[in-house]
Parts: sequence; structure tokens; C-alpha cells
Amino acid sequence: MTPVVEFDGVSKWYGNVIGLNKLTLRIPAGVTGLLGPNGAGKSTLLQLATGQLRPSQGTVRVLGQSVWSNPALNRHVGLCPEQDAFYEWMTGWDFVHTCARLSGIARGAAAAATEKALDLVGMAENMNRAIRGYSKGMRQRTKLAQALVHEPRVLFLDEPFTGTDPVARRDLMDVIRNLDGAGRSVLVSSHVLHEVQALTPNIVLLHRGRLVAEGHVQQIRDLIDTHPHRIVLVCEDYRALAAKLVACADVEAIHFLTRDSAILVETRQPDAFYTRLPDLALENGTAIREVYSEDDNLEAVFKYLVTA
Amino acid sequence: MNQATHAPSVSVSELRLPLASRLASFGELFWLTLRQHTHGRRLVVLVLLLALPCVLAIMLRSLSRPAPADILEFALVFGLIPHALAPLTALLYAAGMIQDEVEGQTLTYLLLRPLPKWTIYLTKWLATLLVCVFLIGFFTFTLYLAIYWGTPQLWTEIVPGRAWKTVVILALAQLGYCSLFGCLGLLFRHTLIAGVAYIVLLEGVIANVAFVGRALTVVYYFRVLILRWLELPDLMQRQWVRAWQLDLATMPAAPKCVETVVVASLAVTIFSAWWFSRSEFALKTPESSG
Repeated sequence: MTPVVEFDGVSKWYGNVIGLNKLTLRIPAGVTGLLGPNGAGKSTLLQLATGQLRPSQGTVRVLGQSVWSNPALNRHVGLCPEQDAFYEWMTGWDFVHTCARLSGIARGAAAAATEKALDLVGMAENMNRAIRGYSKGMRQRTKLAQALVHEPRVLFLDEPFTGTDPVARRDLMDVIRNLDGAGRSVLVSSHVLHEVQALTPNIVLLHRGRLVAEGHVQQIRDLIDTHPHRIVLVCEDYRALAAKLVACADVEAIHFLTRDSAILVETRQPDAFYTRLPDLALENGTAIREVYSEDDNLEAVFKYLVTA
Repeated sequence: MNQATHAPSVSVSELRLPLASRLASFGELFWLTLRQHTHGRRLVVLVLLLALPCVLAIMLRSLSRPAPADILEFALVFGLIPHALAPLTALLYAAGMIQDEVEGQTLTYLLLRPLPKWTIYLTKWLATLLVCVFLIGFFTFTLYLAIYWGTPQLWTEIVPGRAWKTVVILALAQLGYCSLFGCLGLLFRHTLIAGVAYIVLLEGVIANVAFVGRALTVVYYFRVLILRWLELPDLMQRQWVRAWQLDLATMPAAPKCVETVVVASLAVTIFSAWWFSRSEFALKTPESSG
């Protein structure tokens, strides 16, 4: 099948530092997960794929077109960047509408597209509030809305779940799954295997700028499940949360991170654990502010893959 | 998964953006830049700075022995504004128009649109120039009113003649400054320091020394145009020629001055747009910063 995104012998150097190293990769239509620990080259890959960076070597093609210096292609490409950057003085509606207009959508159509995109990501109620007052989850949703507003064929999502609460995470995953159903291709980067696995079985693994593996997630999971999965939960009353979790059979250990008002949970059944989280997050007294997974176990798998 | 609807490639015709869409895009970017420039502390600081000469003029004209209007005009309209306030306004806005987007990491949202990179620079530069011209023009006109208020020349000589001509010449100077500082903002990281050094050394010192190098400064052409266009009273003109160490017989004609400033500004701006279009702007992700 013709790939949607193609990297052909692509390298990218930042002075003496190598971002990507001779990467050859063909990403098919549908949802693909881009996995790797911090520093693996995921953001570099996404910036190359969206034409923000020029490859030092090799060629990058999206939808069959060369990417660098081809702004017309941006009509069909959307990016939800990792950085938490906005025009803070704007409202959510204003920001997404501005992005729609910058994409060349006529005024009337832009207003309709803005409302549709914000509704899709669950921001319709808060779209008239200033962005500077948004929570992390709202900001992630708004970033996703700006990437969707011009209805791109290919969507690049750079760590879209970072810092979000479990409810926002579940909602964003639903949005991404629906995009696939609507015929869009999505490349979503993350350093948390579980997040990506919940979206797609097709994954690409990067480590230190190199392609380590690509294919079905199950092969990777088999390696990962030999290590406990470490998840950090940030909560006001983290002791009460720990008391509730300690009764769960899939929780192997809980460590208190007192300084951060958080606990570190170790589990060998992350699927079961994450499924329970949204309900737990909504319970009185244990409202979870933030969830993130330490990448230790993934790092271990990368070490295994790299040294195998 | 609905594979049937996934199209793996686009044709060249699908890529082409209709003219109306392109215009909408440019219009929005222009409007966005205007809004950026009118938000935040920068505008407040500049308005306070630009209002200072007006306040000073009102105070000095309100004394029991008011300061002479022509001296105030020379010191404030033809001294403080073109030497300090006009270049400072251009420096703060033009140097920041791209740097602020880079530092705020919002440039991504512009680079991801179907606009050629060079047009992003040009559109932002045009909007910036408009803001700078408006600010300097408005406050120069207000300053003239503050200096000549209550004098018989105000409605016969100043408003219909000198004031608006000076505003036009300052607009031309802003064209030069915005081009220069826009370029500086792309080439240097510490633009504010480089810009202030340029204002002090070139526009402040070298422009006042009678040698060929002064022809590289904006202030030189500003002064020549003032002397050529303003139809100043003879005595006033002689005093200003002496103060600025200019020679009426050898200094260039007004059209030549306009041509020089416009051509040089456009050349610098085209270079800047080209430079911007070939530049990469790596984001500050945990990867790159770590």
C-alpha cells in the first residue's frame, strides 16, 4: 500500500548533535503510534514531517509530496505540537478561528469549522474563556482543535496526552479513534506505550534517533510485561488515594512522592489499572490532577532492543 | 478502520490554494500581527515614552516665560523623535515580530499554514510598519499641537504644512528603521542590545559627523528631506543647517533621498524575507533543551 508518510534515509543534525540517524520509514494510512523515550527523536521526526525542519540528508514525503518548502501541503496536514504555547490573550474560540482563517478558510466557514472542531474535542462550553485561564487538559484539547479545524488528511500529534487528567485523556483518545474512522491518518507520538496501544496496534519505535522496531504492538508488550509499569498520580489527598489503590489486586507497590503530592504506582497490568482510573479520578476526596507514566520500563525495553 | 477513505497521496491541483483563500490567510496574519502589537506592556511603555515630549512641551510652554516654540520644535520634533523615539519604536516592534513568536513558541502555528514562509515575514513586517507609522505620526502631530497651541502659526503654517510633512518624512524613516531592525531580529539573538548600539553609534554619533559615512544613516536622509520639503523660514533653515553640519549645495535632492531610503529598505526587507524562508526554527522541546 502507498505510504502516507515516507522517510527515505533521513538524518537531521543540530550542530554536532544528531536528532535522527539515517531513518527509512514508511507509515501507512490509519493510526500509527510513534514511541520512544525522551530524546529519541520523536519531535524531530514530527517537525521534519510537517516541514518545519529541513533534513540534513535524505527526503521526507507526506501524501506523496516533498515536505520542505512546500507550504501548500499544509492544507492537508495538521499538527498538535508538544509545546504548551498559545496566544494567551485570546479565547479558545478566537485562537482556533484565527488558525482556521490562517489556513485560508473564508470567514463564515471558519466560524462554523471552529465551533465544529471545538465541539469535537469537548471545548464548546469553555470556548469563550481566555486561554490563560485554561487547565492543562483544556489547553491540550484546544491545541488538538486547531490541528483539526481545517480538516487535514494527515494529523501529527506530539505527546497529546502529556499532563492531562484521566478524563481528558480518555476523551482525547476517543477523538483520535474517531478521526481514523473518518478516514484521516494520524501519527501520534508518546513515550508511554500504554497510551499508544490504546489507540492502535501499529507502532514505530525510536531510540536515540534510530528506528529500533516497527510493527505490531504485541511483540513489544511481551517484552514490557516482564517489568512493572510505573505510573505517577498527582492528587491533593494522595494518602487517601493510596489507601484505595492498595486494595487493588493489580497494584504491586505504591511509593509516596511527598514533595510532589503524588504517588508512584507499580503494576504489571496497566490495562486494568488505566481502565479503573477515570472513575477513581471523579471520586470525592481523590480527584486526580495529573497522571503520567515514568518511562523506566519502556527505557528497559529500548535497552533490550538496542543491545539484542 | 475505514481504509477505503484514506487517500495516500494528493495531486498538485489539490495542493493549490485559491486566490481568495490566500488573501484570507494574508489578511488574518496581518490582523493577528496588529492585535499582537496592541496587546501587552510594550504598547503601554511606548505610549508613555511618546507622550513624554508632549507633556514636556506643555509644561515648558506653560511657564511664566514660555520656551520659544521653534526651539522646542527643533529639540523635540527634530531631535528626540527621529533620534530616539522613532528608532526605539521600530526596534521594539520590528525586532520582536518574529523573535517573540519564536520565544513564545507560537511560530509553529504560522509555519503550519499554507503560506510561503517569505510571505509570512512580509505580511508581519507590513503590519508592524503600519503600527510604527501610526504611533510616531499620531504623537508627532500631537507634539506639534502641544508646542504651537495658542500661537497664530498653528492653523496657518503648522497644521496645513510642517506637521503633516514631518509625519510623512518620519513615516519614511520608519520604513528604513523597520526594515533594518526586522533584519536584525532575524540575524541576532540579542537584538535589543545590537539595536540600541546601532541607534546610539550610527544614528546618534555618525549621522552628526560631516563625512561620507553619514549617508548610511536614516537620520541623514530625514534631515535632508526636512530642509528640502518643509519650506522653513530662512533664519530657521540656516540655524538647522549649521546645527546638523549640512551643506545645502551638495546634499542630495529630495526625490533622490526618498529613492535611496525606499530602495535600501526594500532590499533589506527582501533579503530578510529570503533569509526567513530558508531558516529553520527548531522548537524548545524537552528533547532539544535537554
